[in-house]
Amino acid sequence: MFQPLLTRLLNHLVTQNQWARSHLLPFSGKTVSFYLPPAQASLTILEDGGLAVAGETSHADASIHLSASLVLRLLAKDSDAMSQVRIEGDTELAKTLAKVLQNIKWDYEEDLSKVLGDISANKASTFAKDTVKEAKQQVVNFAEMAAEYWQEENPLIAKKRHVEDFVQQVDVLRDDVERLEKRLAKIRVK
Amino acid sequence: MSDSNQTHFGFKTVNESEKANKVGEVFHSVARKYDLMNDVMSAGLHRIWKRFAIEVSGVKAGDKVLDVAGGSGDLSRLFNKKVGPTGQVILTDINASMLAVGRDRLIDEGAAVPALQCDAEKLPFPDNYFDCVIVAFGLRNMTHKDKALAEMRRVLKTGGRLLVLEFSKVWKPLTPIYDAYSFKLLPIMGKLFAKDADSYQYLAESIRMHPDQETLRQMMLDAGLNKVDYYNLAAGVVALHKGWKV
Repeated sequence: MFQPLLTRLLNHLVTQNQWARSHLLPFSGKTVSFYLPPAQASLTILEDGGLAVAGETSHADASIHLSASLVLRLLAKDSDAMSQVRIEGDTELAKTLAKVLQNIKWDYEEDLSKVLGDISANKASTFAKDTVKEAKQQVVNFAEMAAEYWQEENPLIAKKRHVEDFVQQVDVLRDDVERLEKRLAKIRVK
Repeated sequence: MSDSNQTHFGFKTVNESEKANKVGEVFHSVARKYDLMNDVMSAGLHRIWKRFAIEVSGVKAGDKVLDVAGGSGDLSRLFNKKVGPTGQVILTDINASMLAVGRDRLIDEGAAVPALQCDAEKLPFPDNYFDCVIVAFGLRNMTHKDKALAEMRRVLKTGGRLLVLEFSKVWKPLTPIYDAYSFKLLPIMGKLFAKDADSYQYLAESIRMHPDQETLRQMMLDAGLNKVDYYNLAAGVVALHKGWKV
């Protein structure tokens, strides 16, 4: 039931982002599987450079393995996160599709304008953008406030400085243990 | 079929030579109310399934598309918009009544789509001509499905796609409900809306006799398509098979 709707949505997005079509066209007919345990989804690149949900018997030419934390980092535009994504198979294909999906933008103002008209669509879109921006800011403020409370007032979260000190101490301890083991080994040989 | 000259017509067994005529009678009878009945029977879902087939076809501006057993012309109309003025769509059907409905509708909408009455087992087109061939809810009515599939493959260009949208095997837990709907409710609806219970009884029976998803996939591979994939729609009530000629 969701395949037709999802495929329609994907192709609508590709139509709105014509640059994506030219990136995808060289890989037409190929399939990429995304693994985010326990979920799995596969997308096929169509002959016109569009995207569709893959069929029941499709064989993945590339697979992209993600974890929940990695997805959150990707959504937060963490530049280091992409290097930690595990790719199997045709890496060029997987990287191209990942790049397209990361950069594709939904021009919802354009879609709304067909229903509401240009002016109303622009106003609705500006209102939605402002609301989302404000909500994001409020979430960030709340998260910072909570972090500060749990670090300073009621320590539950370690501060970055303390974690780094701890890691350094562990490194020193590990080196000391290794040295001690070598000395013990030498004594045993004697 | 043990006798090679016999085939299915719904649950009945008939001579191969009779099937085309009998199917012709059914579609002649339902032609004028075909789309209305499809809407009633599928709660409008057949439109979503057909649009999905078009999305998955990968057809682009300038492509050549053949709509086999296209009848009322709804797919041809949508493909015609997709291929644009540089492309070409040809509507075919073996049944003159169904084809007339589609042809007239396309002309009324100002779409210049050629409509040809022909048998899908003997397509009057050269080899390697079309970018996409589609048969929607038509394959199960064909006498020699293997021959029809081979013909559709023949007229495809290398890299072309054959799409088969057809009723298929429903997800097992839903089978009792689906059977009750098909054999009890469907003929009643046929009687009410199209004044033709027998034809809709045949439709329900022909759906049951049609190969399931995996069997049809294998038939398409046997017809010479190099890769075949399929989508189950509405829990397998309908399946869309896509085969590539490589």
